[in-house]
Amino acid sequence: MKKYGLLLLISLCLGVLGYAHGDLVHVLGTVVEVKNHSVSVKTADGSIKVVAFDGETRFLKGTSPATAKDLTVGARVVIHAHQNGDKFHAAEIKIGAASGAQHV
Amino acid sequence: MSRELKIGLSALFLAVAGFLVIRFFGGYPGARGNPSRAEVVLARTLRSWAIPRSARDAHNPYKSSPELLQESARHFADHCASCHGNDGSGATAMGRNFFPRVPDMRADATQRLSDGELYYTIHNGLRWSGMPAWGDPDNDTDSWKLVLFIRHLPRLTGDEVGDMERFNPRSIAEQQEEKEEEEFLNGPPVPADPPTHSETSK
Repeated sequence: MKKYGLLLLISLCLGVLGYAHGDLVHVLGTVVEVKNHSVSVKTADGSIKVVAFDGETRFLKGTSPATAKDLTVGARVVIHAHQNGDKFHAAEIKIGAASGAQHV
Repeated sequence: MSRELKIGLSALFLAVAGFLVIRFFGGYPGARGNPSRAEVVLARTLRSWAIPRSARDAHNPYKSSPELLQESARHFADHCASCHGNDGSGATAMGRNFFPRVPDMRADATQRLSDGELYYTIHNGLRWSGMPAWGDPDNDTDSWKLVLFIRHLPRLTGDEVGDMERFNPRSIAEQQEEKEEEEFLNGPPVPADPPTHSETSK
């Protein structure tokens, strides 16, 4: 029983969650850097995931449409992304209603 | 012909058919790969022949309007998008693995069908394709409204897709997943400097 509890705890601590949501993986974390076509996200396990985005990527803040300019350092994001090896490409980026500390 | 002879001939036919499949396909072909060009042409021709002329020439009793498009988009999201995708591309886990593959309905092969052909296909389904028959046999207004939406697919906007996503069927696990994501997103902002604070320490 203890073993299963530990496994559950480890699962909850994982930053990148490969939910069975079509072919998309879900990246949850906080934005640490935004570049022209990518966002770096610090996940719960402390690792940094770099996720690319482009004109096809859909941005949402709450239930409203958003843009890449709404990505701010410190903001919480949930990204649904295609994974190819260790590369991620965002299909959708949901930005937390509470914005981060600084614009990039 | 005696019953025993019929059974024997049927068994012989199946054995020969099985041998031919294994001989020419190297085993049971399953649902991987794509149909050959000949299969596509044959299937489309047979489908065309199977639709009565009166049905093919039938006109949609509904005219497109923002209200009807929204209604039919939500209906599509609930009933059709699991295979066809909200955008009609067929790029879904189901759509990519059917045999034949679920078509991109924004493309010419679907868009050049008449309204009547589209309605007939939705209403009666397509044998050997995975496409079920939808709607009440006697009164199927929803399928005609779906025809309006299929015509709209090439011009579907991102906002419309966003609205549809709220109506996609979700398992209990997916609902739980969404709830967890919402809770995470609604947490307090994390100080940007230094960026070492973990967001899950709530």
